[in-house]
Amino acid sequence: MATDARILPLARPAPRGILRSLLLTLPILLWSLLMFGNPNSHADRLSHISGAITALFMTVLFFMMMRTHSTYRWRRIFFVSLGILFPIGFIHNLFVMRGSMGIPIEEMIAGRTPFCFMPIPLLILPAAFTRTLIFPGSIAGNSHGIAAMVALWLALTLVMGKGWCSYACFFGGIEEGVAAIPPRAKIRKLNPRLRYLPWAVLLAMVLLSLAIYEPAYCMWLCPFKAVTEYVAARNTIGLVQNVIFVLLFAGLVIVLPFLTKKRTQCSWFCPFGAFQSIFNKISIFEMRIDKERCKPCLVCQNACPNLSLSKESIARGETLLSCMKCGACVDACPRQAVVWHIKGTQIAWKPERARLMFLYAAWAMAIMFGGTIIAQGIATILHFVV
Amino acid sequence: MKLRPILGYTAAGATLLVALLTPFLLMDSFSKGFIALGMHVDEVYTGGPKVRTIPMGAYSIDVHRPVYPHMLQSEKPFVQLDWQPVSALPQHISDAVDIDGDGQPDVRVSFDVPRDPKAPLHVDVDSLNPRYEAVQHAGKEKYSRLIVRVDDAILVRVPLGKP
Repeated sequence: MATDARILPLARPAPRGILRSLLLTLPILLWSLLMFGNPNSHADRLSHISGAITALFMTVLFFMMMRTHSTYRWRRIFFVSLGILFPIGFIHNLFVMRGSMGIPIEEMIAGRTPFCFMPIPLLILPAAFTRTLIFPGSIAGNSHGIAAMVALWLALTLVMGKGWCSYACFFGGIEEGVAAIPPRAKIRKLNPRLRYLPWAVLLAMVLLSLAIYEPAYCMWLCPFKAVTEYVAARNTIGLVQNVIFVLLFAGLVIVLPFLTKKRTQCSWFCPFGAFQSIFNKISIFEMRIDKERCKPCLVCQNACPNLSLSKESIARGETLLSCMKCGACVDACPRQAVVWHIKGTQIAWKPERARLMFLYAAWAMAIMFGGTIIAQGIATILHFVV
Repeated sequence: MKLRPILGYTAAGATLLVALLTPFLLMDSFSKGFIALGMHVDEVYTGGPKVRTIPMGAYSIDVHRPVYPHMLQSEKPFVQLDWQPVSALPQHISDAVDIDGDGQPDVRVSFDVPRDPKAPLHVDVDSLNPRYEAVQHAGKEKYSRLIVRVDDAILVRVPLGKP
């Protein structure tokens, strides 16, 4: 769609005024206080302190997003913090409850395995055919019960689509943090066909899970078992599973992101990410490229941490289905050709309005979900330090 | 203003509303909706529903419905028996159990009951009916052949033989 120069200036906008940025941040401050500031709750003192730190942290990051017009670098601080603090809080909880990161078979029989969102696509076919959930958890139960986690996933997905992978996933932050360490990529040429791999892994895991009636990805391939919990190695098979988890974690989450500056586990392997891409079709928010402004210089393609832009998609003025709305391409574009967009509206017409509407929704959810995890991680650290 | 932008902004506003209502209303509704679907956790994990209780004086044995694994699941069919409460069990158990309720014992189950809840358990099962397999000194290697302590019960899973 044609855009004239009056709609969007070519130069990067100047920082927003402090007062205006504060006003735009006010709803997020109130939301943070609502989420973490309940003085009547029975949480201990450390939990109150960690909640206050988290509320301040999330509010300051949002303020900086408003002030600088930049999304990616501030979101990344949140996301990496989430990726680091989640294992800290989670592993500490495991040691307090059961003294080990390994899930003993007794806990699985008792239905006390915390439910993670990763197996959701793997549960669908067995549930559809036999109304059976192939996960050793409990359906109702506490906040880690299957129903509560599926409900949370559904709400987050309705709001963000694949934005889940940038604002909610408590695993992706680890590799995003590792990818941010080197100043430039050691491996620059990446085979574009590799971006189809997550779909292949998804298809294989869904069918295999139906055949063996186990969440096959969780049992055999999830790299993040290395930093959360794993099936206690009772025999040789269990030992092999754990070796696979550690090797995949080292390769896909540490070494390759360091060498490529990309989220390689997400881009090349994660079946949940592929599944989540489907929901970009129903998400109202997306990234678009104003074809009249675009050179194309491919700066956006290089900046994308998830390989969600190709020459062909840029020529079409859109991202690929796997776009996770992190905002890296928007921030990187020197001509402001990449914009936040609400479906149905004119491209590049008031993109800041689209960005604000998405960010308010996504950040509110990030505070509610990721913020709670961050607060738990901070509380764990305070527990050891204070 | 055309219809498509109006619909777009309406949907964006609705998305924001979903985000704001999630912790107060939607989480609970979605969760209840999911529970109402009436699904259940795979019986290979849960051991299946309890069908009968055999009183044994101070303690009792719960007999579960046999569990038959699906398709390529790497487990054998089994039946779960629960001895409880653990505090009322003697130091050694050697019980003949009528699993199918026909008045005849089907298996004799023997195991020690250590006072330390973290101590490893081992079970021997003598088959008195070819429908049930004998088990020698089993620990917790497989879902279909194990002895474990869960809360206040000791669970024994006896594999079924070929009919």
